Formats: sequence, C-alpha cells, structure tokens
Amino acid sequence: MATKNVLDTVAKKFIQIGLPKDLFERNRFNLLVDRNKIIVRYPAPGVRSEVIETPTGVKTKVYVEPGTKLEEPVTLCFGAAETTEVQTTEGEIVVGEGADVKFQVYGAMAEGIKLKHKNKLKVRVEKNARFEFLDLHYNGEDTFVELDTETDAYIGENAYFRSVFKQTRGRAGKVRIVLKAQVDKKGVAVFETKMIGKKDDEIYVEDVIHLNGEESRGISKSRIIAVDETKATFVGETYGNAPRCRGHIDCSEVIRGKDVTVKAVPVVVVNDETAKVTHEAAIGSIDKKQLETLMARGLTEDEAVDVIVQGMLR
Amino acid sequence: MAPLLTVNDVKLTIDGRPILKGVNLVVNEGEIHAVLGPNGAGKSTLASLIMGINDLKEPDSGEIIFQDKLVNGLDITERAKLGITLAWQEPARFEGITVEEYLKLSGRNNPELDVVECLELVGLDCSYLNRFVDDTLSGGERKRVELASVLAMRPKLAVLDEPDSGIDFASMEDIANMIKTMRDRGTTVLMITHREEIAEIADRATLMCDGKVVQTGNPKDVGQKFKTMCVKCEVRNPELVGGE
Ligand SMILES: Nc1ncnc2c1ncn2[C@@H]1O[C@H](COP(=O)(O)OP(=O)(O)OP(=O)(O)O)[C@@H](O)[C@H]1O
Ligand SMILES: [Mg+2]
Repeated sequence: MATKNVLDTVAKKFIQIGLPKDLFERNRFNLLVDRNKIIVRYPAPGVRSEVIETPTGVKTKVYVEPGTKLEEPVTLCFGAAETTEVQTTEGEIVVGEGADVKFQVYGAMAEGIKLKHKNKLKVRVEKNARFEFLDLHYNGEDTFVELDTETDAYIGENAYFRSVFKQTRGRAGKVRIVLKAQVDKKGVAVFETKMIGKKDDEIYVEDVIHLNGEESRGISKSRIIAVDETKATFVGETYGNAPRCRGHIDCSEVIRGKDVTVKAVPVVVVNDETAKVTHEAAIGSIDKKQLETLMARGLTEDEAVDVIVQGMLR
Repeated sequence: MAPLLTVNDVKLTIDGRPILKGVNLVVNEGEIHAVLGPNGAGKSTLASLIMGINDLKEPDSGEIIFQDKLVNGLDITERAKLGITLAWQEPARFEGITVEEYLKLSGRNNPELDVVECLELVGLDCSYLNRFVDDTLSGGERKRVELASVLAMRPKLAVLDEPDSGIDFASMEDIANMIKTMRDRGTTVLMITHREEIAEIADRATLMCDGKVVQTGNPKDVGQKFKTMCVKCEVRNPELVGGE
C-alpha cells in the first residue's frame, strides 16, 4: 500500500473536484484505488474481500457474510489522479442471505485528466438481503472521461437492490451505462440514474429489468439534464414475466439549449396476464412555473435553473 | 395611506379576445385588499401582470406602478427585488427540494428569517422541514408551504391567488389569521378569493367582473354587491355590471 505522501497527493486532487474532505480526514475509505494502484485498504466488519492490481486497473471480489448488518456504508473509491489511457475495474459482489449493507462508491477523475474507464460489475443479492449501491461520480470541469460501465445483477427471493448512478460534479464526458437485473420472487430492483451533460457530452443509459419471480418489482428512474450540445439517450426496458409482478419506468429529461439531442425509449413487455408494467417519459425544458416561482422569490433565472436542476439530480 | 400599487387603465387582449378591459385599482400600503369576482373575470390574469409571469410582462396599454416605479416590462426577478411576490392558485411542485431549503431560498434576504416560525404560522410543525416540496405533500399542505414561503420572504407586496382554495373549511380561521400576521409584519396583501369569511378580514375589497372593476370599497358592501349582482349575472348581462 502507498505511503502517506501518495495518499495526500491523491486526496488533494480528489477534494479539488468536490469529494468530501471528511472522507480523507476521518479515514473513511475501505478501499481507495488510483488508476491501478491500491492506496488504501481497510476491511469492513462482516465483509470479506479480495483485491488485485492488474496492468490497467483492479479486480475485486467482495463477499458480505450472511446476516451482516452495517450502520455505516462501506466506502470505496475508484479514481484517477493523473491521465492514463485506460482504467479497467472488474468486480463481483455477493451479498449473503439476510445481510443489509450499503456501498458508497466514489468515482473520482481529477481535474484536467483524460482517460477511458471500463467497468464490469456482477452483483448477487441473496434471499432476504438488502443492498444499496450508490455510485457517485466526480469529474473536473476540464476532465474528459469515456466511461463504459455494465452491471449485471441477480436479486434473490424477497431481496432488495437499489443502484444509484449520480453524476455529481463536472463534465459527464462520453458515458455508456448499462444496468441489468434478474429479479426473483418478491425481490425488488430499483435503478436510478441522475446526470447532467454539458457541451458535447454524450450520455447513453440503458436499464433492463427482468421481473422473473412472482410479485417481484422493478423501478427504473432516470433524470437527465442536457445542456449545450449534449446528446442523451435513455433506454428503459422492463419485462413482466411472472404473476403479479410490477414494474415502472420513470424517465424525465430536461433540455436547456437548442442544440441538444435527447431521446427516451421506454420498452414494456408483459408475458403474464397478472403482471403490470407502466411507464412515463417526459422530455422538455425546465418547468416554467417552477422557474417563475423561484424568480418571484427574488432568484435570477440562472439561479432558479440551478436550484431546480440540483433538486432533480439529488 | 399612501398607494403602494396602482393599476391604471390596464387593458389586455389574448388571442384577439379582450380579457382586461381597462382595470383601475389602488392598493394602499399596509392594507389587506381582497379581489372578488366570478370565474373568468380576469383576476388571475391581473395578478400575472402584476408579477410579470405567464409571459405577461406588460399590458397592451395602461400602467402598473409600484412605489412610484413603472413595472411594465420588468422581468419577474426585478419585480421581486422591488418587493413584489406572488403565491399561485396551484403552486408548483419541486423534486428534490426540501421545505427547509425552499423557505431559506425564499427568505435569503430576510435577516430575521425563522423558518420554523414561518411553518408554525401556517399550521405546520417542524417535522415538515425535511419533507420535499414535491407531490408527496397534499394539496392543502403545499398551499400552506407556499404561504410560509411568502412569510419567509417578507415582501412589501404579496399577491395571493386564492390562498384559501384547497384548504379545509375548519382551517379558514387559521388562514385568515396568517394573512393578518403577514400584514402585521409589514407586507401589504392583495388577495384573490371566493370566500366571504376570508374577504371579511380585508380592509378594502374590489369586485371584478368581465375584465373590469365594478366596485371598490369596504368588504361587506363589495361582498354584498357580488352576491346580489354577479351570482345572478351568469350570462354576464352587461347592464347589470353597468358596462358597455
Ligand atoms: N393564456 C390564455 N389564453 C387564452 N385565454 C386565457 C388565457 N389566460 C386567461 N384566459 C382567459 O381569460 C379569462 C380570465 O381568466 P382568469 O384566469 O384571469 O380568471 P379568474 O378571474 O382568475 O377566474 P377563476 O376565479 O376561475 O380563477 C378567462 O376567460 C380565461 O379563459
Ligand atoms: Mg384565477
């Protein structure tokens, strides 16, 4: 593992793009990776893990032991403090029966750097377990990232999985996010994506949920704000394959600027007469009444837009 | 009392249809002024013109003067900075913004801002601070939060478009008291209402019908006129409103 000096340099760069200082000051990280180097590694109780450095990134295997309940989130950071051609992260997470854990994962791409980041993640949430995966992305305003991430999840009987992808700071870059879930009996999958694209950013988000078990449920919710010349596409597919399963796709894309290109494609397929899958998709500019309300309280139009957008991305 | 807001012979046509036909109205500083009138009379349109919302930045002719300043053509923010605000008949919902944040934004220029007090004044307790101002609030709760946000801002003039709609009958007295508190704290109130018990708390009232002001005076008289005249005038009998 790295020296304190290396950690300090990385910390400085990541705090600069908005990562909470507190994470470093209070040694919150269970794992901190810069490109393909492990900088911090600190085990969380009830969580067994294996992390290996590869030529371009890291491979991780995480096993949350059955029944593990953690108050504090397991905190991980996969970042890059300097430009590098590619960073590849591969992960496997198994959340054992009856466990209840939350992972907070920071993606930090330092100011001004350029890289391609490829991520593949396999998630298995066993029977009666609860797993929340918060994927928070911080980029600099002059950072350029090509992000390609795929998550494949299996949600067991009566289990719950929530995955949140949030572009919290800076440029989105060129992003492809694909999330897939197979949901078993009474299981629940919740996918949320919140992003803002600026300049010539390109955003592609695809959520695919297969509701395979009786009374399983799926929610796919996306909020994408497209500014300047951003191109954004959201594809939400939900398959209702089992009796009394319920699915909902809720997609809202806000456009700001006349050169944006935005697309929403909800696909709803039902193979059982008692299944029910619904969708709502809205593409439009910022709601005028919201804007005027805040302006009537004295905010300028730009301030009001900012408040509304930050609220949507929350 | 000095006039705070003067609406001078304001005319407005929308899609070739005259909506306001020469409205004259004076709101004095420190008063609660009620505007009564049947559906479609032009009350909300007049309110929009005063705030500059709904693409109604200025009338076709006539003047809207706030404290000696012509506000025709000013944008919403400029009017708010002069001290005007408006509470919508149907307030907007905001995703991801809490009641506390909303009140703090509204009151960011009020040095004495006390968000808990603002909530209490509209009959909501501090447990509402972390609620979102989205569609999880009931209609009545959302209306109360809107009034709280006006209290937070403490403007010179608050235009309240039907502050009582969607509020249960038993709470009418709370709403009346809240509007009086607003006035006692230095906000002049111009409120549109259909309810007699709310109009009664006003210092003065104006009756609008068919895009015109029919009468301004004490609320009892104006209310009476509304009942005897407008209720009968479903067909908008021009003779009854004394026009054209
Ligand atoms: N943007 C618009 N386009 C067309 N007609 C409009 C528009 N805005 C208002 N009107 C018309 O102007 C008239 C006055 O509307 P306004 O909303 O001001 O009435 P109001 O007095 O507030 O009624 P209510 O008591 O029902 O709220 C109505 O006939 C309405 O249909
Ligand atoms: Mg109205």
